[in-house]
Amino acid sequence: MTWLRTPPDAKPDAQAATPEGRSDAAVDVQDVTPEGHRDSVVDIQDVTPEGHRDAAADMQDVTPEGHRDAAATPRPTGLSLGVVGWLRWGWRQLTSMRTALVLLFLLAAGSVPGSLLPQDGTNPSSVAQYYSSHPVLARILGDLGLFNVFGAPWFAAIYILLFTSLVGCVLPRTLRLVGSARQPPPRAPGNLSRLPFAVSYATPLAPETALESAAKALSAKRFRLRTGPGWVAAEKGYLREVGNLLFHMALLGLLVSIGLGGLFGYKADRLLVTGTSFANTVTALDEFHPGRLVGPDNLQPFTVTLDHFSASYVTSGALVGQPAAFNARIRYSASPGDSMHSYDLAVNHPLIVDGARVFLIGHGYAPEFRITDGTGRVIFDGAVPFVPVETTGLVSEGAVKVPDASPKGLGFVGVFLPSAIDVGGKLESYFPAPNNPMVSLVSYAGNLGMNSGPSQSVYSLDTAGLHELAVSPRPLAIGQSIKLPNGLGTLTYTGYRQWVSLAITYDPGQTAALWSGIAVLAGLLLSFMVRRRRVFVRASTDETGNTIVDLGGLTRSDAAGGFEDEFAGLATEISGLHQASTDASQSPGPDLEAPDRTDRTDREGSGPSHREGSGPSDPEQSGPPDPEQSAGE
Amino acid sequence: MPVNSGLADISNDFLLTAVVIYALAMLAYACDFAYGKKKLPALRAAKASTAVAKASTAVAAEPAPDEVALVGAKSTATAGGIPSTVGTPSAVGTPPTGGGAGAASGDSPSGDAAGSGLRGAIKGVPDRESVGRWVTIAVVLTSLGLAAHLSGVVLRGLSVHRLPWGDMYEFVTALTCVAVAFFLGVMIRYRAYYLGLFVMAAVVLVLGLAETVIYTPAGPLVPALQSYWLAIHVTAMTLATGVFFVAAVIGIAYLFVDRHARRVAAGRPTGSDGILRRLPRPEVLDRLAYRTVVFGFPIWTFGVMAGAIWADRAWGSYWSWDPTETWAFITWVVYACFLHARATAGWRGRRAAYIQLAGFACLLFNVLVISLLVPGLHSYAGLT
Repeated sequence: MTWLRTPPDAKPDAQAATPEGRSDAAVDVQDVTPEGHRDSVVDIQDVTPEGHRDAAADMQDVTPEGHRDAAATPRPTGLSLGVVGWLRWGWRQLTSMRTALVLLFLLAAGSVPGSLLPQDGTNPSSVAQYYSSHPVLARILGDLGLFNVFGAPWFAAIYILLFTSLVGCVLPRTLRLVGSARQPPPRAPGNLSRLPFAVSYATPLAPETALESAAKALSAKRFRLRTGPGWVAAEKGYLREVGNLLFHMALLGLLVSIGLGGLFGYKADRLLVTGTSFANTVTALDEFHPGRLVGPDNLQPFTVTLDHFSASYVTSGALVGQPAAFNARIRYSASPGDSMHSYDLAVNHPLIVDGARVFLIGHGYAPEFRITDGTGRVIFDGAVPFVPVETTGLVSEGAVKVPDASPKGLGFVGVFLPSAIDVGGKLESYFPAPNNPMVSLVSYAGNLGMNSGPSQSVYSLDTAGLHELAVSPRPLAIGQSIKLPNGLGTLTYTGYRQWVSLAITYDPGQTAALWSGIAVLAGLLLSFMVRRRRVFVRASTDETGNTIVDLGGLTRSDAAGGFEDEFAGLATEISGLHQASTDASQSPGPDLEAPDRTDRTDREGSGPSHREGSGPSDPEQSGPPDPEQSAGE
Repeated sequence: MPVNSGLADISNDFLLTAVVIYALAMLAYACDFAYGKKKLPALRAAKASTAVAKASTAVAAEPAPDEVALVGAKSTATAGGIPSTVGTPSAVGTPPTGGGAGAASGDSPSGDAAGSGLRGAIKGVPDRESVGRWVTIAVVLTSLGLAAHLSGVVLRGLSVHRLPWGDMYEFVTALTCVAVAFFLGVMIRYRAYYLGLFVMAAVVLVLGLAETVIYTPAGPLVPALQSYWLAIHVTAMTLATGVFFVAAVIGIAYLFVDRHARRVAAGRPTGSDGILRRLPRPEVLDRLAYRTVVFGFPIWTFGVMAGAIWADRAWGSYWSWDPTETWAFITWVVYACFLHARATAGWRGRRAAYIQLAGFACLLFNVLVISLLVPGLHSYAGLT
């Protein structure tokens, strides 16, 4: 009831005129806090933080549910309130605005390590690297879940608490909105000049006539009306609260959609060399991250064949070597045995099959080798994908493993250089396109250890059981060979192919997420652009027999501003109506320039110019007035 | 299509010109503070109270000055108001407040139309006022600078045949362009000319750094950026960043003015406060910052969502906690904190302003540190 912040001993007219709590204009506008969570402080009041505390305490009785000021909530003492009392207290704490604010902060702060530390989900190899370079620290961080922040229990706890708090706030508010939409606007306060927007003027019309035409004007502007003896109350802008609720509900919907994707969706990766195919089965995928409720049978059974891949690069200028376009020509069938379709897969242009989508996310070179072992048998003939280790020349590293060669297993590690160039005896690649594709290999023989021990990366060689062969480290051009010593065999570099890496994703929650996102935005715009506002009109006869019309207006939630103009427009229109009906019955000739207006203009000695900027005419006056002002009245 | 380096060079010339003109505009705003014939708030309050005294010829019931203003004005209405006429506007002028800046509102230049005559008398509704010479010069310079700036951005786009916000340099030139345009709009709508010095100083600094430190020659986009979602996502992010930029400048001005106002209220020495005394009351700045954020927040939300949709099209997942995404999310949450804090007891005013600045700091951190130093899917800055 302290919206006008009247000193306790001076009972405000507004309150006196409105005996039932519900109809107190000032109190009600409170429900429409600008941002979702209800709070006990009133915009119109404060500027100084010190001022709020008592205001907050005062407001308690009128904010029975929803987000309230936790600090002002009485804490149950001892066990006097019992379990229910404590639960109620806990619930109030949780659904208080302060708690929501703290949880929001925690959500932001908790996300920070997720962006600064490598994450299991997106970059597992960096996490492994971190473990090997900082073993002790990494173990502590790992125990805290900091390498998987967005899947960590504590992170889930933050957002679950936040959303619980949100539900505890939104549900009561929805009920209240329904309630207030059913009830008529509150009665007009007694003294309209106390309201933040007010104007008063005299008219010879009878009070009833004046009120009637004012009510008609307000009704035409689709205000909801309530009339009483000598007053009209009008309210508009319920959509603001609708938007606010929609925004918060939609956030909840977004969380549910993300959860759906986490349960029923999957992500997978597959590297595919030109000229080869794969089927979308768990065994054929390089990496497979299923949702919690996804089994091997849930994968869409499509097959993809990569026919051709091309990449083009900027060939001159400052940005030379920067990629300009990637294009993969593929054929696919929805299930094995179905007819094949052609498709041009490109970045930003995925293939969609049965709801699953296939993305082109990377590319590289796969040099081709033919390896003959000591017995003269061709034991390997094919392309080996090498991974790029830098971007300007696309130098790529890889390993060739032939464990079954006899008499000894053979292994090769090396680099592929798309545009090889000798820079002072060191081989480099000057361009990502294959202008001069060469490989440089180091040869090993021995036991590759592939049938025992931990699984190895296909791009590197575990040289523990191997010995390096004395072969001159001469780079090979296409067609050139290395003859291994001791009759171990021959390796011939026969050419190269390109490979692409494909990401396959399936997320059944994404449509719901999209609609939730649209609802979030719609709710946000509604709650920011619509203002809930009340306009009151009082007409009474003064001692001299004239009718005095008082107009008052207030808004609690004018986030985007503009009520000052709307109120001025309404006031102008209503006074104009009153004037027009006067003109119809009496002689015209009203002089709108009141005597005191001339006075006002004059008293500014320096004239109206040079007064830019702050001060009396500042439009920001539009909003709530000062607390001092309200308090003093 | 090849890069048209001639156009790119002209674009650079335009942008350099813009920096120079902005610097001159900044100077003009500063001159307005130094030489503009503007009444100080205290002076205005004094004027207002004399006016009130003049007006209250009849009843003067209560001793409180506010009450005097109210009653005085009302008595003028009944006594001086011509009975046969309507619309003798007699409502209360906003009474002088503690800060003294909220003087009566009925001080528009005479000769207004009848409607605005009433408008001038409405409590809470501001009047129009004219601007001084230095401000006129500054606004003209700002507009000229904006024209050069805009030409520079457009020519850059023409030279590379695409939207000119594909790398860090282009992003910064575009976002400062948005900031200046938005600021011009705010300045004219809210008559907030006093912000010119601060916004221009920040713009000159940022644009100057863009031209010297992070300049990137014009070139085509990497394949990942070749999508119409670039136009949607990055445009929204650029717009929102420009708006938040202005909000942050207002927030900083607020903190200084608020501190000054507290010192004055506490009777403590205030040091050099020449400019601060001429700025509006802190709550005016606070509200302006809030409205600016309210304008930018939905754009940011939309930009993040558009980014999510694009990520879904390009990378197969609408949200993958890429570092840049994470910081866009953090920024969103911090600005949401700001919006909520402004409605929470004990968090309004300075605390809320700090939160707002923290939000902008997160945004800057994302632009300057994350996208340059932390590898991720968003590493397009074009700087090596």
